[in-house]
Amino acid sequence: MITSIFVAVAVLTIVAIVFGIILGFAADKFKVEGNPIIDQVEALLPQTQCGQCGYPGCRPYAEAIANGDKVNKCPPGGTATMEKLAELMGVDPEPLNQEAQEAVKKVAYIREDECIGCTKCIQACPVDAIVGTGKLMHTVIAKDCTGCDLCVEPCPVDCIDMLPVQTTLKNWDWKLNAIPVTLVSDSQEEK
Amino acid sequence: MLTLLEQLDKGSLWQSPGGIHPPELKELSNTQAISRLPLAKHFIVPVPQVGEQARLLIDVGQTVLKGQLLTEGNGFLYLPVHAPTSGKVTDIKPVASNHASGLAVLSIIIEADGLDTWCQLNASDPNTLSHSELIFKIKQAGISGMGGATFPTHIKLNTASEIGLVIINGVECEPYITADDRLMREHSHEILKGIEIIHRLLSPQRIIIAIEDNKPEAAKAMQQAISLSNLPANSTRVTVIPTKYPSGGEKQLIQIITGKEVPSGCLPSQLGIVVQNVGTAYAIQDAIYFGKPLIERVVTFTGKNIHQPGNYWLPIGTPITAALERVGFQPSTTQKLIIGGPMMGYAINDTYVPVLKGTNCVLAPSDDEISPDMDEKACIRCGECALACPALLLPQQLFWHAKAEEYDKAASFNLQDCIECGCCSYVCPSDIPLVEYYRIAKSALRIAAEEKVLAEQAKLRFEARLQRLEDEKIAREAKAKAAAEKRQANMKSSDKDAVAAAMARIAAKKAAQSHEVNQPVNTQSDKAVTETTDKKTAVSAAIARAKAKKAAQTAQSHSSAENNPSQAESTALNEQDNITTEVMSQKDRIAAAVARAKAKKAAQNNQANPSVLAVNNVSEMTTSDDVKNDKKAKVAAAIAKAKAKKLHQTGSTDNATEIEPTETHSVIITATNNTVITEKPVTGSKIDATDLDKKARVALAIAKAKAKKSQQKDDKIIGYEDQHPLASRSEVHHNEPISTDIDTESVADVVLNDPEKDKKARIAAAVAKAKAKQLQQTETKNLELALSNAASQADNFDSATLDKKAKIAAAVAKAKAKKLALQADKKD
Repeated sequence: MITSIFVAVAVLTIVAIVFGIILGFAADKFKVEGNPIIDQVEALLPQTQCGQCGYPGCRPYAEAIANGDKVNKCPPGGTATMEKLAELMGVDPEPLNQEAQEAVKKVAYIREDECIGCTKCIQACPVDAIVGTGKLMHTVIAKDCTGCDLCVEPCPVDCIDMLPVQTTLKNWDWKLNAIPVTLVSDSQEEK
Repeated sequence: MLTLLEQLDKGSLWQSPGGIHPPELKELSNTQAISRLPLAKHFIVPVPQVGEQARLLIDVGQTVLKGQLLTEGNGFLYLPVHAPTSGKVTDIKPVASNHASGLAVLSIIIEADGLDTWCQLNASDPNTLSHSELIFKIKQAGISGMGGATFPTHIKLNTASEIGLVIINGVECEPYITADDRLMREHSHEILKGIEIIHRLLSPQRIIIAIEDNKPEAAKAMQQAISLSNLPANSTRVTVIPTKYPSGGEKQLIQIITGKEVPSGCLPSQLGIVVQNVGTAYAIQDAIYFGKPLIERVVTFTGKNIHQPGNYWLPIGTPITAALERVGFQPSTTQKLIIGGPMMGYAINDTYVPVLKGTNCVLAPSDDEISPDMDEKACIRCGECALACPALLLPQQLFWHAKAEEYDKAASFNLQDCIECGCCSYVCPSDIPLVEYYRIAKSALRIAAEEKVLAEQAKLRFEARLQRLEDEKIAREAKAKAAAEKRQANMKSSDKDAVAAAMARIAAKKAAQSHEVNQPVNTQSDKAVTETTDKKTAVSAAIARAKAKKAAQTAQSHSSAENNPSQAESTALNEQDNITTEVMSQKDRIAAAVARAKAKKAAQNNQANPSVLAVNNVSEMTTSDDVKNDKKAKVAAAIAKAKAKKLHQTGSTDNATEIEPTETHSVIITATNNTVITEKPVTGSKIDATDLDKKARVALAIAKAKAKKSQQKDDKIIGYEDQHPLASRSEVHHNEPISTDIDTESVADVVLNDPEKDKKARIAAAVAKAKAKQLQQTETKNLELALSNAASQADNFDSATLDKKAKIAAAVAKAKAKKLALQADKKD
């Protein structure tokens, strides 16, 4: 009777030790660096690095979301991004905390003859998309501009405009209804 | 089981899925031979690649010849653009493009001169050219696919894959269009010559010319041309395929001819197959044999509203309007103009657009030919579209997701494999414009993909920037650390007096800062130091004194003059140093070193000032005179006078500095007192002590005067002008006794037993004070600079004089030190 108890205890102890070793080994071997959800959240964010969420860049906001912050703080991403984030995090979608930016993508444009070369916008740009140096004219590399607006505020002479990206044949989106239709017959008659 | 080649030779055909049989309506335009229209007056040559991959070779106002190269570039997809006729470039501007969007594209406007003069053409024999030369010539001719997609032909013909089969596409499955049909009928030999060149370049095992069975004349003509061509026997054949839309699609044609399906996302060349249009073969022939660039093409003008339908050779760039005028176009009230066929073409809203390399048809249907736009009705899930789809997709699923803007879900139903043939829309009983939904969904997906790439780039750039900022910070810190270490190392090598002096300076600065905190006290700062027992200053002064004492003790083992960095300053100074070192006792050297350091600082502050030399000369004079005490004193007096004069000069320019004369008077008085005392024969140590006391007082007075001046400047800015004169005057009156009080007190308290050390300490304290004042002065200088230009000008003048004053103070200190040395000698 007593021996069977000892046997049972001994067996359980051995089993516990074996599993403990296996688990310890597995924990070491299959260790996941960082929180993978952060990367997933970050992949959904628009990477404008604009800071409108209150965090210095998209990565910090992704970390905050992973730690339970709200998903509705990204105006550049708009409702679509918010919904994707809500789905990923398993929370209910909420309306954006700020007015969503209009769908038109904008890029900064420096009116170069007004630029005094103060380099303030260069320091403000989170993606180094402005070239220029002290007392020399600056200009925006349009293809690298994320349209985050951060350069507009520091400009002492207000020479930076946010202009909508021009529609070209390459980025035209086939919304035929948007094209004003002039019937050929009308235009012929006009002529 | 037959091999693929055998089956190809037999003409076996496979079934392609889906497809429709719309009315062909080809007889409208295929009965007349290809003709030419009179040359248009203006030509629009779009150059969309300019700015990205190409640059313009011509300018506005320049005359161009037919076939002249207009652009130059080197991008992967770059295609040269040529002038379609001879004439003058009248403008280069964005003009509405021949595109569904009608967006403006940069175009060259050429005004034709009507002569149509060719430029120099390089005709050549393809047999004498190498492969690369052929490819180069094809590229330079600007040849792109003539079927509609306008992919650069030279890339297709320069593939890395092994090509086993070339299919020459003469299917022309869209209704209405007969351009390739007529071309094959009339120019079969030229097309075969082009095919020979393609054969040379790709050396395929078989070449299949695929023609639909609704074009028997074309098939016959091509067959004849093959028998007359130089192609290897049995390598080329015409395969007639059944008429079905869209058999002319590249992937569909490959499936019909070989039974192979091109995998999603793959190119036909990966299967060893290349498909070329008959029009492209013709253009290749033109380019190689005649050197002609691709500047014209056959365009079908058809539809019941065109009274002379048919095929026409049109130069690329001819405005559609100009051509329409010459083919008897009579628009109806709701006229639509379609570029391309009725299935895949697009309506244009502006007729002033050019003919492009891929424009094969201009369709002007009458109202009864084309169904009017019907309202979209609900999808009834009938499944007709799925049966018609040649790509075996599920159009209604795609439609659901595209309409709900769930583009990623639409993508999961292989939206990207849709060829936009329009079969589904054609069969849809609910009149849903399905293709339009797919196009919108496709562009949304494309834009999303581009944005993702851009976001990834932005992220990388953001991270790179953070990294850069971090690196810069680390580099800056390392640099600062290295500089600090270097400074420390230098200090170790030089005498420790410098350390002591620096410490004293820091302490004095702190004291000065504490003064600045309470502004009202600051207006009478020096008085406050001495009169009111400001504990902080007293403590810091005591610390400075103690430190100076310590420095004096340690300095006894050091020779201060040799290592002194003032060597760089002027040799005169060095000479003087050497002389003084010889004469001076070690204690005195300390004072001298401090003074020198001060002088150096002053000199550095005012390097441009030639008066440095003058001051040095003065100090030299003092050096030579150092044997005689009285003369020294006289010099000091002279210096003081000079100072006073300067102060007068500055004072005369400014009402607020009125009191300065009185100050300087006091300085002069002290200086003369000093002279009087020093003129007496110096015999005893007691007299020595008083003498030195006075000297110290002189230094103090000078320093105070300086401080007052700076205060006055302060006050000027702040607005205490009225109060100030009184305050400073009272200072002048009370200064000397009070300072002596403090000195004697501290002497009595701390170092009664060692009067000489005490004196040294006092000197050090005075020096420290002077420096603190200098700091204040520079501070006020900055303030003033910021305030106004006028103020800064005056200030510059002031600062110059202050620098000089500092130098003079240094000279005075040196003189004192020498005197000490003399006394020490006497004692000894």
